[in-house]
Amino acid sequence: MTGPRTRAHGLLAWGFAVAVLLYLFVPVAVTVLFSFTTSPRLSLPVTGLTLDWYEKAFSNPLFTDALANSLILAFLSAVVAGVLGASFAFGVARLRRRTRNILLTAGVLPAIVPALVLGISLALFFQEAGLSQGLRNAAIGQALVGLPFVILTMYARLETFDFSTLEAARDLGASPWRAFRDITFPLVRPSLLGAALLAMALSLDDFVVTWFNVGSRQTLPVLIWGLLRRGIDPSINALASTVLLSLVTLVVLAKLLNRKKL
Amino acid sequence: MPSPTETPEHQGDRLPAVLRLVGPASAFYVAFFLAPILILFALSFWSMRGFNLAPGFTLLNYLQGMTSSLYRAVLLRTVLVGFITACLVVPAAYLYSYLMRFVFAHRAQLLLDLVLASMFSGYLVRIYAWRTILGKDGILNSVLLEVHFIDKPLRFLIFSNWAVIITLVGLLIPLALLPIYSSMSNVSKDHLEVARDLGSSGFHLHRTILIPMTLPGLRMAFAFAFLLSVGDFVVPALVGGTQGLMIGNVIADQFRGIGSNWPLGAALAVLVMAAVLAIWYAITRISRGVLER
Repeated sequence: MTGPRTRAHGLLAWGFAVAVLLYLFVPVAVTVLFSFTTSPRLSLPVTGLTLDWYEKAFSNPLFTDALANSLILAFLSAVVAGVLGASFAFGVARLRRRTRNILLTAGVLPAIVPALVLGISLALFFQEAGLSQGLRNAAIGQALVGLPFVILTMYARLETFDFSTLEAARDLGASPWRAFRDITFPLVRPSLLGAALLAMALSLDDFVVTWFNVGSRQTLPVLIWGLLRRGIDPSINALASTVLLSLVTLVVLAKLLNRKKL
Repeated sequence: MPSPTETPEHQGDRLPAVLRLVGPASAFYVAFFLAPILILFALSFWSMRGFNLAPGFTLLNYLQGMTSSLYRAVLLRTVLVGFITACLVVPAAYLYSYLMRFVFAHRAQLLLDLVLASMFSGYLVRIYAWRTILGKDGILNSVLLEVHFIDKPLRFLIFSNWAVIITLVGLLIPLALLPIYSSMSNVSKDHLEVARDLGSSGFHLHRTILIPMTLPGLRMAFAFAFLLSVGDFVVPALVGGTQGLMIGNVIADQFRGIGSNWPLGAALAVLVMAAVLAIWYAITRISRGVLER
């Protein structure tokens, strides 16, 4: 496994991995960089740094409303997706392999269907059900977007969960609720919180499903979309960086919580 | 669909408990995922009477989608763009997975986390960023002008099918990576060592060992990339311009635009998904044939 040929291969391999990562992260870096530059034209070289775009973004009269709605939706959809997804994962983990695989596949389906199709079919469904567009509909749509990820995260944790502790507690006379509260919940709490934070991140980031169902209400991505359609405005970079920062925070927290093994 | 009645292999008295756990999410999926998609499908056979939906059964929406030269052209281009995107995304994700699994195994977790992190770096943010990079006064052009590689901005960078493809590839690599990497985790280093000892190397090793063994993941990744790129309307709207218009834009306009026509939008959505699944199925059959030869 050594020799000049392998070394050349190793360099090529590093080169490729770095190229992929640059491809993925340069756009993000660009957005953050231009949220701090003085020139309103989005081109290089950079002439100076400023926080003006943040001031402009935050003083947009729609910003506060959009931020508040985004936070409400993130909270609601994370709770719904967290509770439903975790309990689904718990149930599925106890089933036999074949049934389990069918249910898991079904549970992940919404992640494979284009968001456009999810968005329009939900909008249509709500219209036929007589539920007018707004935050409620958007929260349901976002919970649907988050569920597959909660299910997968929780299931991955439960695969290594020792259900015999639970059975031991039950054998010793603990009620199902008590066994859950005293044994299961403390053990899976980090993963559950991590999964919920992931659902929050997905909710904060969701544009398509929200846009078709939220009616005339604002969320941060809907606001960004509106500004984008109106043309180049550097305060978009500041808004986008704000969303980015909250996403990074949530995902890093989720990752840390999921890593904590008990 | 995860319906409780579909669990015939229940385990005696555990079933009620399992039902209580699986039931709520299943009900949620039936109400807000299955039912809406079925209604969307049904709607594609309805028509518009003035501004109102008229239930019924007509194939006119499909006929219009397939015969109108505008829709047909957009549909074909969308499928082509999605196909090219998937053809770029899957090999890139495959190679990256291979490196994670077998070349930089000690750094695998970091390499995986980085890619997954990019998935959460903002959907609109990333699309918009590509517009900043590829635009007429964008970063790429200003850098190329600065170093005198070009003397006037390249205009074809933005508002073209290629801009759409470049952006979609960046969005979809992380998603394609997941199924490929997960099926590659089932291949052990020993498999490759044995193959190497038997004289297999380089491209041959991939063709005879690794690709066949990771085929389920590759297929799923291809389906992901193809479906999700064909269904995207934000990327073409922001970096595609009029030349890069895709069927997702047409569908979105039927649902949120002026003079919207929901049944037509629904039919177009069904058409494009059916086309993608048919092509995907054909490719999986062909790939199996080629690999078994």
